[in-house]
Order: sequence, then structure tokens, then C-alpha cells
Amino acid sequence: MRRRHLLALSAGALAAPAVITQPARAAVETRDLHGYRIRAFAGPSGTGLHDVACNADGTMWITGQRNGTLILLDPRDGGLKSVGLGSGASPHGVVIGPDGAAWVTEGGQNAIARVDDKDHRVQIWKLSGGPSYANLNTPAFDKQGVLWFTGQSGVIGRFEPRTEKMQVWEAPRGAGPYGIAATPQNTVWYVSLAGNYLAEIDRATGTPRIVEPPTPQQGARRVWSDSQGRLWISEWNSGNVSMHDPKDGSWKKWKLPGERPRAYAVYVDEHDTVWLTDFSANAIVRFDPKTETFLSFPSDKSGGNVRQLAGRPGEVWGAESGTTRIVAIDKLHG
Amino acid sequence: MRRWSVAAAFLAAIGSARAEPCNVAAFEPCKACHALGLDGGQKPGPQLVGVIGRPVAGDPAFDYSPVLRAARDKGEGWTRERLDRFLSDPEALYAGTWMGSPPIRDAQQRADLLCVLMGSQDKH
Repeated sequence: MRRRHLLALSAGALAAPAVITQPARAAVETRDLHGYRIRAFAGPSGTGLHDVACNADGTMWITGQRNGTLILLDPRDGGLKSVGLGSGASPHGVVIGPDGAAWVTEGGQNAIARVDDKDHRVQIWKLSGGPSYANLNTPAFDKQGVLWFTGQSGVIGRFEPRTEKMQVWEAPRGAGPYGIAATPQNTVWYVSLAGNYLAEIDRATGTPRIVEPPTPQQGARRVWSDSQGRLWISEWNSGNVSMHDPKDGSWKKWKLPGERPRAYAVYVDEHDTVWLTDFSANAIVRFDPKTETFLSFPSDKSGGNVRQLAGRPGEVWGAESGTTRIVAIDKLHG
Repeated sequence: MRRWSVAAAFLAAIGSARAEPCNVAAFEPCKACHALGLDGGQKPGPQLVGVIGRPVAGDPAFDYSPVLRAARDKGEGWTRERLDRFLSDPEALYAGTWMGSPPIRDAQQRADLLCVLMGSQDKH
């Protein structure tokens, strides 16, 4: 058995002045489909929109992977602001912390970044030890306020904002750790895209416990928990959405519609309805676990490529990386 | 005699430069999605052995994004120069590509990676 290494234990933030571009307004297009309203906001060009996070005040943070920014959208008036994350920045994931700030897996600087929700000041905590390029992917907070993260180069890690203590470990099967999620029961899980597994992280030791999905070589890309702590997984290679219930160890899986689906993102809303993206269908797809049926919301532009989903009650959000648009699907009735 | 020595040293220098191995670490970040061998198994992205010189969207085992399939249908192929442009900003060259990796702004990093990919031609 391969020995697990503690790769890094570091502290110390680098503060950078927030570089904020002049505010702009995003044009918005709306259309109705299947009893939902779809809003599409034009993002700043050349930004490489990637992941989104919903602020409590109704605004949205979006990572700009191509130009190293974090973008703030106010959907009420289309207001846009861009915060520069520093030289060489290339942010991937973003999540809202218990402190209200945006926390970013900032791959370009091999660091965790924090952007203050009030003054937009940027703080950077670089990973030390481990690979010089962890290819940081996705962050998630547990109920104790610890930030857990993945790196596709083959690492998982944790960062305690209170003490600035960071720990990084090698992941089993090397390269691949991608999506990560905390459950309402305060367990932390991640998936490995290249490693083809789901794993629960022991929050005390950082040790992962692999749970094998039923489909071999499935390419588990992202994971989200429902209210019961069941893990929903978007499988890129197989085109399945799968569900693991840790209570009894069971699995279920469903193939997305279409000839050769490619499930990329997954999000579970407040009704435990599952939302996915399918690159082959160029669509956001709703899956109702009760009826086991899919409902497709194709983009009205080619090559949308929504790489992550998030939401708040009544709203599902994502960013079309291929068209540089931020999209929301809102329930119109009920 | 001295002239021969200088010439020999010059040729030796050229030879050693040519024989200098690639920085294989440049391919490390790519390994999460790509194999550099025909026996790499199923990966999230296409296999890259022999990529330089083959058509865009040229791995028959992989289904590509519409934008890359369109490029293939137009007869575009992966030259070293095109791949260098692609790696420097994938979305700028092919907006809508499924590949999600960020731009590699550092020319030396791209050169190192291209060196590894060129080396894979031999295994093709």
C-alpha cells in the first residue's frame, strides 16, 4: 500500500491590493422554457468564466480562469465588477465562506485566495511542499469553517482560516481529484476524475476512504450532497448521474438522455432535485429522482459548456465558459 | 589544429543540445486528462501520442467538441505552431473547446510541453 505523505503544512497570507476594474453593466437576455425563466448575462469578454457562487445578498461571484479575475455580478441591475487576483492568477473554483467572503482555488499561483465581500481585498495563501503546480480545482467548507480542497495533480488539502494552518496530502491513485462537497451531516467527500472514484475524507486525519462507483472508468467529475447526505455524481466518461447513499452503502445510476452524453457539473437544489450539465447536448439538465425523469434546457448558443452549477432557493446558476455568459434558471411557478 | 578543435567543440555542443532530454515534468498537469501512450486506458480527454501532425480532433476513440470537429472537417491539423497557439489560450483559438485547462502564458513551459509531445511521435 502506498504511503500517504503530508505534503505541506504552511501558514502566512500575502495580501494584495484589490485591483478592481471600472464597473460595467451586463446585457441580459431572457426566455421561458418548461415553466422556468432562463436569464443569460453577458460576462466580460476574455475572462474564461468557470465556477460560480451565490452570495447571500443576491449577487454572484464567478471565476475568470483566462484573465485571473473574480467577477461580481449583481443580477438585479446587471452590474459587473472584476477583481484581479494577482500576477499569473488562473482561478478555478469559488465558494462562499462562513465569513461571507469568496474563497477561491487559485491554481495559477498555486494558492488559496480570499476576496473580502465588503472591500474586495485579496489575500493569498500559497501551498508549500507538494507539487509546485497542484492544479487546484474545487473548494468546500465544512461546518467547522475548515476549507477543504482538491488539486488535479493528485492532492487533497485543508485550510483553517482561523489559524491559517494549511495541510496538503497526496491523493490515492495520483492525478484526478476534482469536485468536492460537504454534506448537511458534516462529512466531506470528493471525486477523482482520472482516478474514477468517490472518497470520504476523514476530517480529523485527512485520510480518504475510497468508495468505488458501480461503473468502471466512469470519470467521476463533480459531486454534490442532497439534504439526506446522499452523494450525487456527474460522470464524464460514462455520461451517467450516479447516487451513493452512505447510510446503506447503496448506489444507483441513470444515463443522461442522448446518444453520447457527457455529464460535467452537478448541483442538488433545496427540493433535492438534481441539476446537471451535459456537454454533448449543450444543455443544463434537470433530473427528478422521484420520477427518474430528465428535463433538458439546451443553450440557445452553440458550445455553452457550463462547467459547474450552484444555486439558491428557486434559482440554479452556472457560467457558459464557451460563450462567456452567466446563466440562471428560475422556477416560474410553485 | 586549433580550428579543428573549435569545430569539434561546436559540433559537440550542437549534438548535446539535440540530445538534451525534454523536461518530462511539463506533461504532469496534463496527465489528469490525457495519456501519452496507446495503452493509457480510458481518460477524460483524448490520447496524445503522435498528436503533432495528426488532424485536429484526430483520436478516433474520443468524441470531441463541435468546434474541434468543425476544425477537423475544414482540414486543420496539429502543427507545432498551431498547438503552441492552442496551449497559449485554448478558448482564443477554439471557443467552445471542451478542454478546461487555463492558458499557458509562459513560452518556455509551452516549449517544454511541446518537446514532450514531439517525443511521443516516436512511440506512434
